[in-house]
Amino acid sequence: MADQLTINVNGHDRVVTAAAETPLLYVLRNELRLSGPRYGCGVAQCGACAVLVDGAEVRSCITPIASTTGKKVTTIEGLPSIWAQSKGIAADLGTLHPVQQAWIDEQVPQCGYCQSGMMIAAVELLSANPTPSVAQIRDAYTNKPPSPHLCRCGTYAAIIRAVQRASAAMKA
Amino acid sequence: MNIILPSSTPASSRALLPRLTRRGFLGAGGVLIVSLATPRLHAQASRAAPSRSISIASWLELRDDGTIIVRTGRTEIGTGMSGFYPQVIAEELCVRPETIKLIMGDTDCTPDGGYSAGFLTGADNLRKVAAYTYQALLRLASKKLRTPVESLTVEEGVVSGNGHKISYTDLVRNQRLDLTIPVSGEPASVDPKSWNGISGLDGLVVLGNPPTRPMSKYKIIGTSNPMPGIPDKVTGRTQWTCDIALPNMLHARMVRPPTLGSTLISAGNLDKAMFPNAQVIVKKNLVAVVSPNEWEAVTASQVVAADTKWTEWTGLPTSDKLTETLRNYKWTAPSEGRGSIEETAAALSSSANLISAAYEQPFIKHAPIGPFVAVADVRADGSIIVWSHSANSQGLRAQIANTLSVSVDKVVVRWLDHGGQFGRTTFGGDGAEGDAAILSQITGKPVRVQWTLQDDLAWSASSPGWVEDITCGIDANNHITAVKSSFYSPQSNDARIVGAILAGMPTSQPKPGYWIATEWPYDRIAHRREEVYGMPNLGIDSPSGIGMRGLIMRTPGQRQQNFALESLLNEAAAATGIDPIAFRLAHTSDQRLIELVHATAEGANWEPRPSPNPNASSTDSKQLHGRGMCLMVRQNSYWVGIAEIVVMPSTGVIQVTKFTIGADPGKIINPRQLERCMLSGVVMGISEALKEEVTFDTGKITSTLWTSYKILTMAEIPEIKIVQISRDNKGYGGGSEAANAVCPPAIAAAFHDATGIHPRRIPLTPAYVTRLLQVAKTAS
Repeated sequence: MADQLTINVNGHDRVVTAAAETPLLYVLRNELRLSGPRYGCGVAQCGACAVLVDGAEVRSCITPIASTTGKKVTTIEGLPSIWAQSKGIAADLGTLHPVQQAWIDEQVPQCGYCQSGMMIAAVELLSANPTPSVAQIRDAYTNKPPSPHLCRCGTYAAIIRAVQRASAAMKA
Repeated sequence: MNIILPSSTPASSRALLPRLTRRGFLGAGGVLIVSLATPRLHAQASRAAPSRSISIASWLELRDDGTIIVRTGRTEIGTGMSGFYPQVIAEELCVRPETIKLIMGDTDCTPDGGYSAGFLTGADNLRKVAAYTYQALLRLASKKLRTPVESLTVEEGVVSGNGHKISYTDLVRNQRLDLTIPVSGEPASVDPKSWNGISGLDGLVVLGNPPTRPMSKYKIIGTSNPMPGIPDKVTGRTQWTCDIALPNMLHARMVRPPTLGSTLISAGNLDKAMFPNAQVIVKKNLVAVVSPNEWEAVTASQVVAADTKWTEWTGLPTSDKLTETLRNYKWTAPSEGRGSIEETAAALSSSANLISAAYEQPFIKHAPIGPFVAVADVRADGSIIVWSHSANSQGLRAQIANTLSVSVDKVVVRWLDHGGQFGRTTFGGDGAEGDAAILSQITGKPVRVQWTLQDDLAWSASSPGWVEDITCGIDANNHITAVKSSFYSPQSNDARIVGAILAGMPTSQPKPGYWIATEWPYDRIAHRREEVYGMPNLGIDSPSGIGMRGLIMRTPGQRQQNFALESLLNEAAAATGIDPIAFRLAHTSDQRLIELVHATAEGANWEPRPSPNPNASSTDSKQLHGRGMCLMVRQNSYWVGIAEIVVMPSTGVIQVTKFTIGADPGKIINPRQLERCMLSGVVMGISEALKEEVTFDTGKITSTLWTSYKILTMAEIPEIKIVQISRDNKGYGGGSEAANAVCPPAIAAAFHDATGIHPRRIPLTPAYVTRLLQVAKTAS
């Protein structure tokens, strides 16, 4: 049965109507019309649906909506504002998180379907380790549970470069 | 307005005349519209039918506000075409690429059709469109400035001559000018006579040879224009196919049969108390659950699936017996043959040595991260709109019209971004669009169909497995005298609509067969005979009529056939004790190929020596190192791949440590985007060489998750080194496809270099590598 739940998404409290076990992904996409997180596999095997919950990457396709109440959910649409907040600057439409800017500068996306999840993983990695080595980047994208972040277009090399570029930009 | 005909255009053919006409003066605004005229459409017009050349959307519009709108049916599939196309157009028009707005893929907004499988044909069309437009603008400016065309110069959209300047925008201000340019081709249509079951897949082709800018004068082509869609993709502003949400739209999940041949006995029931808004839809063997709420559709479909009864079917041979099945098939005449049978046989029989090998590969998948999704709205007034990410919108439009038995004019396909296609929708078929259209027709509401990952890996078409027998003769001077090859595979052109087959509705009917895809790189091999054989899909005669549908995939046919050819070359080089690069150079006189081989070898620090390497071992337990190379000629492009690998005998794991890839695609349009395609192609190619294999039992595909259909992960990529050669005098070549195909032969050669064992099958999985090493150990 559907419940009224309040969740905090990208800095705003949002009231949604959904059964408690509904995966966060479907609420973000269909109720809140956020298209950053995407359905890839539905079973936490690819990473296309990744979002941050209290700063940690989760796979929204298997995360029940009820488990996120009282926590802060961030999608790529919310990355500019968390960056602006952390720097104490006002965010406008042109503000980008350094990870997003690095993804543009390195021309990372090909089809781009998986890249929302890839950027979320980058933000989490850089918050835990601001200057990751190439080996640490490879490890984070491959061996961190629940699964590797998969890209079928094969943009892995560009992602490594972009994470390093974002790391440098965030230190500056 | 008089337009001078391009010199190569036959003056007798009035239909081929580019024509510029003024349709009237406007009070405000102004535009030059470039549309098309086919000889056939003109013939219709002469029978007093209205001309269709102005009823379909124009190709290019130059507006007096400075914007240039270009419409093409071809789409961005991740390879950077949305970056290349503006460069090509801007170069011919002498404008900045940023002034060009591309509209791609929508059938009601684009005139040309065609598939988005590569850059070449689409770019050539747009280049000519721009060149014709440029000539027309020069004529207009010549009149305004009272200066002959020959003495005009143009810079960033401003024409200068006779001491005066006029901009393109001023040339078209307050008037509507129509430039009609000559094209040929047929609209896409379902055509039982066509080999693919659908004709007109290439779309319209611009005729004539308008003067184009010499490559030596290029200012924009050759620079690294970024892909325009990327900022929206990284900020969440892109509207993807999966994002379409319409009023009253139903979400659907498909309930598929348990096998590729089962038929429905009874559909499961829905507990209305549990799923108050969900509904089961059944049409013959097509079963779906729809609901206004997506999660209700997901959960209800799982309950219905568990309660749905199907017939059993066991018509597949199992993936373990694929090679045996291909071997036992009663092959008749080849689909295609090239070269002399007699001369090749004579040359082989008189050769000092013969080297023969049989190579094989299982079925593999396109397997994008975004499973198929589509929205269809079949409206009460008979109009149908389908939102899709197909790589051939016009082909899909024809397919949908055929399945729903309506006129093609009733159907509009709107294209949006989605996961990569890699060839699976080139023929306008496959995908969720058929399901969505059928369900929308039944329910009378817009329907969004999302295939699950399991649906996609089990029910989308695959790139079929194959075997190839190949033999070469070698003379006393270690030179190959002749090559004979026979390639065997199920068909790769099955673009039938899955939903239509299951629902018992009409769909395209492709014919079995195959094609010679190899472009021969070795002109110094005197004789060759190539044969390819194509059989119908495995299980096509099942009660449901589905079976293992085969389709083309990145570098189709040539990826497979080149693996066999290049692996044989590596075996021959090893047998003669010659360095594999030196051995190849002895068999070609093509200077472009020779230069690229040298440049790539230099990039890889290649030290000449024969394979296997002096430390090669099939019995050691310590890490083994190997290197290997291969080459390919494809679509006026040259490719070389050099792999360096480490083999871990204890686990059978191969790690590619470095891959050097060289490409000469003629004039490089955009070095950055080419580099991206090369880097990513290497990742896909290594994935294919080491991991990818569709498994199936007697009824169904069993590799339906990422844990069972494994693709390369980030930790498994090597250092990738890129070598590019650009040329100003060789035209354009393809730049996105072949990068995947040069990996498997180079990696297989590197495995031989490390172990002394020639692997004749890919993927080189740990289990297969362990088996190869065990066999070698037992033999020694």
